[in-house]
Amino acid sequence: MKKPIMVALAGNPNSGKTTLFNNITGSRQHVGNYPGVTVEKKEGTCRHGERELKVVDLPGTYSLTAYSVEELVARNSIIDEKPDVVIDVVDASNLERNLYLGVQLLELGVPVVFAFNMSDVAKSRGLDFDLDTLALLLGAPIIPTVGNKNIGMRELLDAAVRVADAGQPVDALEINYGTDIERAIAAVRQQVQHHTDFVNDAEARWTAVKLLENDPEVAKQFFAPEVLETVGAEQARIEKLLGDTAEMIIADRRYGFISGVCRQAVRSTVEARRTRSDRIDEIVIHRFWGLPIFLGLMYLVFWLTFTVGTPPMDWIEGFFGWLGEFVGGWWPEGSESLLKSLLVDGIIGGVGGVLVFLPNILLLFLAIAVLEDSGYMARAAFMMDRLMNKIGLHGKSFIPMLTGFGCSIPGIMATRTLESRRDRLTTMLVLPLMSCGARLPIYALIIPAFFPEAWHAPMLWIIYMIGIVLAIVCAKLLRSTIFKGESVPFVMELPPYRVPTLKSVLIHMWERGGVYLKKAGTLILAISVLLWVMTSFPKPKDVDPNLSAEDQQAAELSYSIAGRIGHAMEPLIKPMGFDWRIGTAMIGAFAAKEVFVAQMGIVYSVGEADEESEPLRDKLRANYSPLAGFCIMLFMLISAPCMATIAVTKRESNSWKWALFQLVGLTLLAYGVTLVVYQVGSALGIGA
Amino acid sequence: MTEALSVSIEDYLEAIFHLVRENTVARSKDIAERLKVNRSSVTGMLQALRDRGLVNYERYGFVTLTDEGEKVASRVVRRHEALRDFMVHVLSIDEAEADKAACHMEHGVSSHIVERFTEFADFVKTCPRAGAKWVRGFGYRCEEAAVEPQNCERCIELCLEDVRKKPKKGTDGEMSIPLSELKPGEKAQIEKVAGEGAVKRRIRDMGVTTGSLVEVVRVAPLGDPIDVKIKGYHLSLRKEEAADISVKRVKA
Repeated sequence: MKKPIMVALAGNPNSGKTTLFNNITGSRQHVGNYPGVTVEKKEGTCRHGERELKVVDLPGTYSLTAYSVEELVARNSIIDEKPDVVIDVVDASNLERNLYLGVQLLELGVPVVFAFNMSDVAKSRGLDFDLDTLALLLGAPIIPTVGNKNIGMRELLDAAVRVADAGQPVDALEINYGTDIERAIAAVRQQVQHHTDFVNDAEARWTAVKLLENDPEVAKQFFAPEVLETVGAEQARIEKLLGDTAEMIIADRRYGFISGVCRQAVRSTVEARRTRSDRIDEIVIHRFWGLPIFLGLMYLVFWLTFTVGTPPMDWIEGFFGWLGEFVGGWWPEGSESLLKSLLVDGIIGGVGGVLVFLPNILLLFLAIAVLEDSGYMARAAFMMDRLMNKIGLHGKSFIPMLTGFGCSIPGIMATRTLESRRDRLTTMLVLPLMSCGARLPIYALIIPAFFPEAWHAPMLWIIYMIGIVLAIVCAKLLRSTIFKGESVPFVMELPPYRVPTLKSVLIHMWERGGVYLKKAGTLILAISVLLWVMTSFPKPKDVDPNLSAEDQQAAELSYSIAGRIGHAMEPLIKPMGFDWRIGTAMIGAFAAKEVFVAQMGIVYSVGEADEESEPLRDKLRANYSPLAGFCIMLFMLISAPCMATIAVTKRESNSWKWALFQLVGLTLLAYGVTLVVYQVGSALGIGA
Repeated sequence: MTEALSVSIEDYLEAIFHLVRENTVARSKDIAERLKVNRSSVTGMLQALRDRGLVNYERYGFVTLTDEGEKVASRVVRRHEALRDFMVHVLSIDEAEADKAACHMEHGVSSHIVERFTEFADFVKTCPRAGAKWVRGFGYRCEEAAVEPQNCERCIELCLEDVRKKPKKGTDGEMSIPLSELKPGEKAQIEKVAGEGAVKRRIRDMGVTTGSLVEVVRVAPLGDPIDVKIKGYHLSLRKEEAADISVKRVKA
């Protein structure tokens, strides 16, 4: 048995790299993070004939500079892990730009196999490749593939195994950068070799090029002042002589080399014409029709998510209801067993309450995967960028924010498409201000309780608008304080439209859905049990047996830890117009916002309550003013998002710091805003 | 005040001029350091300069130039720069070496000769029979020592090609404009990418390189960003970023 071959998959975003990865590894995948960064690391295995292949899917990048985390991760894993072969997935219909990364891989001197993917599209566009000449000029084998039709995989893996078995070392590609640059490279290279003894010729050249390119990572390794001095002097000389910085000229020459190669080996048999993708864009991002179509599509996505999602949600709810009763049935009627309560109310109720959103989340992710894989997502970002740029964010932030109206969790997970960490964190932190679906039951309970019919819709609109306005203000605030910095350029490819493959869409959906499920099984389970303990303990010693079951429940809740915290909080929340009952219900609402309604039902001993409960509304009317009612909604809108959101923020930001910042920040904001509204409102006698 | 200033007076004024530019004021310690002389001679010279009304100077204080001093100093600096530029740009001499030589020459040549140097440099750059390429050719020749005669023929051919390709003066194709000013449907050739750092680098990495053709396809519904076609694919850029890319229109 020969040892397994390490294969790294590199390529531009939208080159079909992921489809190829899925084809090669099938379901034998493992998704994780690169240590220290939130860049996804996908690994998989596959058998090819006799051999075992370990495949790493590198992040999709356009270049191998060290300007973005993805590029750095891709480069470091090639340099540090030394894969036996690097497969560079190239979109053959967009050869020049795709080869820019390929040429950098060749310059690195690693064994490369090119997969000319989407070769069918290239052919239909009238591109004719002389593959032999191309392979000769680039010095690496080229295999034409069609990822979504699974064509060329066998040949690709054959070539990969062949190259891997040939073993290193590979001659690094040496591009002639022209007399002036070459002189600079020679000078720096000499210095590099003079000051380090372990670098061979090819590595020294690569290091010299990178130093001239101002590569921060490479510069960090060469502290010898003489080296950096030479680099500086040569850079200055080049700038003087050629009128632009060395790194720009090197990039130019690299592209020049590529277009030279393409001139020799690629023929275009038909005149460039409007492609199908161009024609779709003429309608879909049209000056006037673009926005209506976009809004319509978004509406469709949400409609699908919530209508198609409802039946399975009912099934899940029904299942957990049944499960609760079934498990409860193990004890005799009216049993006060703690274990029963823990299982039924704590675990089954808690996890069920979170899992019930799974259909919504999966559907939403399905829709997002379709939009992403088809290429529409880039257009959405393109159309929304102006708006988002105004609040200091990137066009790509729009979809996650919009998703937040459904549920914050998928929204926060969708921020992965954002490249800049600053943008990502800002979007993540303010996202819970987009009023999610779970808060709707609270509004549905309170608005009819306090406001006349004609006010219902405007009231709801006001609440949502307050959320949006606060999100904008907070985003601006964050971007100008802790996330201050140059805004990320909107230099983004608008990839050609493609019909997404079912396989990759499902894999996409499942990857993200799985994360949610895992959370429900671990952290959320733990918090559910904790909250159960808080609302059930300690039990009052002697409850008046003459009381009705509802009143007994209310007394128990009042006596519990949550109830006591509610009581203790009363002085603190009084200025917002809240009493201990609301405080107690708010603690329960941390599990999931809509739990607030059920908890209010218990504290007011009206038994099982949902948002349609008239007896509960009567109680509310009797105990609170409309102003206080409004303040409840306001506080629930802004305050601490549910525990699942916090857990996801922790996961996606890779640190508890930001999750806690979100929790504390939003709660303080809620407190401040609600306090001011209640106090000013009371003083002015509005809704008193 | 005329040409009659001594060499060292001019050097002093020049040094003060640069120090004031860099730090808003000059201290005698910095002047001494810059001219590599000892502090006592600086003090003496500063007093002399004050007496001539060229600098404002209190003992142990900061030094600034008077209006007259400023005028003289900037004349010297201009002369220095003109000489240095001539050596760097026309004679392809290393900048440090040119700087040093200019220091010595600036006092010896009259402003009339310096003017001629400047004019000649300009002439070389703009005259169709010379031009920047011609000058670079000279630099190349100096570095590579031997130049084969057949290279001359090839060089002349290339020049002719350039002349034929060059659009006639006066057409709007000549003018360099920012990419953000092109209208949808217009094509252009990229001249230069300004801006800096990661943004500029990113733009280059995406294939926006000097000489490539670019077509503005459309503007987003809200008026920003724009969608351009380059190297056969669609790229979106904010107008703010596109403003840093200068292009020349080409007729479709």
